Amino acid sequence: MIAYILRRLAQFIPVLLLASLGIWAMIYAVPGSPIGALVGENATPEQIAAITIRLGLDQPILVQYWRWLLAALHGDLGHSIQSREPVLDLIATRIPATLQLGLAATLVGLLVGIPVAVASALKPNSLLDRALSGWSALALGVPTFWLGILLILLFAVHLHWLPSASAYFPLISDPIPALTNLALPALTLGLYISGIFSRFLRAALLGELHADYVRTARSKGLRERDVIGRHVMRNAMLPFVTIVGLSLANFIGGTVITEAVFTYPGLGRLLIQAIGVRDYPLIQGCILFILAIYITINLLVDVLYAYIDPRIDYH
Amino acid sequence: MNPMLRRLLAHRGALLGIAYIVLLAAAAIFAHLILPSDPLAQDLANTLDPPSAAHWFGTDELGRDLMTRAIYGARTSLITALGAVIIAGLIGVPIGLVAGFFGGWRDAVLMRLVDVLLALPGILFAMALIAVLGRSQFASLLAVGITGIPSFARITRAQVLSLRQRDFVTAVEALGGSSTYTMFTTVLPNAWSPILVQVVILSAVAILLEAALSFLGVGIPPPTPSWGDMLRTGKGFLYEAPYYAVLPGIVLTLTILSLDTLGRTLSRLIEDRQSAEDGP
Repeated sequence: MIAYILRRLAQFIPVLLLASLGIWAMIYAVPGSPIGALVGENATPEQIAAITIRLGLDQPILVQYWRWLLAALHGDLGHSIQSREPVLDLIATRIPATLQLGLAATLVGLLVGIPVAVASALKPNSLLDRALSGWSALALGVPTFWLGILLILLFAVHLHWLPSASAYFPLISDPIPALTNLALPALTLGLYISGIFSRFLRAALLGELHADYVRTARSKGLRERDVIGRHVMRNAMLPFVTIVGLSLANFIGGTVITEAVFTYPGLGRLLIQAIGVRDYPLIQGCILFILAIYITINLLVDVLYAYIDPRIDYH
Repeated sequence: MNPMLRRLLAHRGALLGIAYIVLLAAAAIFAHLILPSDPLAQDLANTLDPPSAAHWFGTDELGRDLMTRAIYGARTSLITALGAVIIAGLIGVPIGLVAGFFGGWRDAVLMRLVDVLLALPGILFAMALIAVLGRSQFASLLAVGITGIPSFARITRAQVLSLRQRDFVTAVEALGGSSTYTMFTTVLPNAWSPILVQVVILSAVAILLEAALSFLGVGIPPPTPSWGDMLRTGKGFLYEAPYYAVLPGIVLTLTILSLDTLGRTLSRLIEDRQSAEDGP
């Protein structure tokens, strides 16, 4: 199993390397000098000289990339132009917020998506199935940022139940403010995710419901609940988990947008702010981190897949 | 009438979708003829007016007519979607065609590149590209277009792979047709329908992505009207003018839902036709 994980990890390395090359090259593609991009246009000549030597910008280009990569791997992503703080510190304070939002939204997605999928797959083409399928199409088609605005209008502006802008509170130490602040962003992103979950789980369940083993299970007198719960669900989880893995890119985009709607202090919002002031070291750091999170979750999905399906050979 | 078209029009959802898109496109193209007001004309005496007979969608914080801006926003969205789909198609389709037709190392190299592009979350890639190029309509269009390349490449490749085995392709090659000739005159014309479905689906994705970028404040720069930017600004006036962010959002959502319904209906019809062809 460990060897399998390591091998999957190795397959991500080319992607990460290429992506890191692209992120590093960003500085050189920006109009103006890379030094201007790294320290801001108002730097003094002394600062520029110091930075040039410290960052090795007088070295050959491949040496520069190598040194940047080594530094990044050691956690040195440079300093923010705006706040002068280390990029890694700025990012580290935002990661718990984004992870908390992502997990809460995934939970909402599962709690809504799985029952919807099971209910519609059990009676295909019924009125309920069509209504629920329409609902999934709506969950996927309504832009996240507009849904967020509608929820703010209803729950914050109209009913005054929840705050219109969400701050971050750790769920463990401040559960009550954490939940009130997390409710709307998690619902916004979660409903979108539930659309993905229900659409693909329904298709996966329908694919399994006509399999021979289902007929066997029924004919030997198993209760329908056991047929679905023990046999069908377990097999339908395989294509479903794959789809979830493939949809991760949408989740990541979703967190960036949701954080912007609710001015929630996560990684996505930090990136948007950094782009707004052209803080390139911070932009590079944020993108690198979001990508790393994305690849890590992708890997976890792969491992989960292998765990669910004993037929997959790890060797 | 083409039987495919007839079956499409028999589908109520798809018909509604087509009607909405045609109406929207017509309004966007003829906006300057049918609308009395300029999308940039300010009227500081009438800012944030609620919807009325004079201003159906109300006015914004500078007194500009919101319906006029929503319709000119459709122009921005449709141009971006069209440009993005053309870029994605012009690069993606040839990649898929060459990869699927020749196989071997060309296939391996091209599809590996496509996989790398697919591995990056589209919105993240678009934001990074815009961070480098600066905000402009061209940057948005290019960023959205590039994120669409993988789906065109994959769809085309899958289609070409199955066509490659068919007798009529072998026949053309046996008669001495060159690779280029066979690829463009025999394989590609038969691979069109799934690619066209992809055009519809990708238009929805492109419009949504462009709106998201503008909503995040990195898309097409103001004062060019765009739906995402209207929602972004409208979000700042939720207490004073709730209609501001709601009404343009309805126009955007209906556009996405129409294209999505149309795309899914088309792909189901094509699947049905293919299984009918392959069937007994």
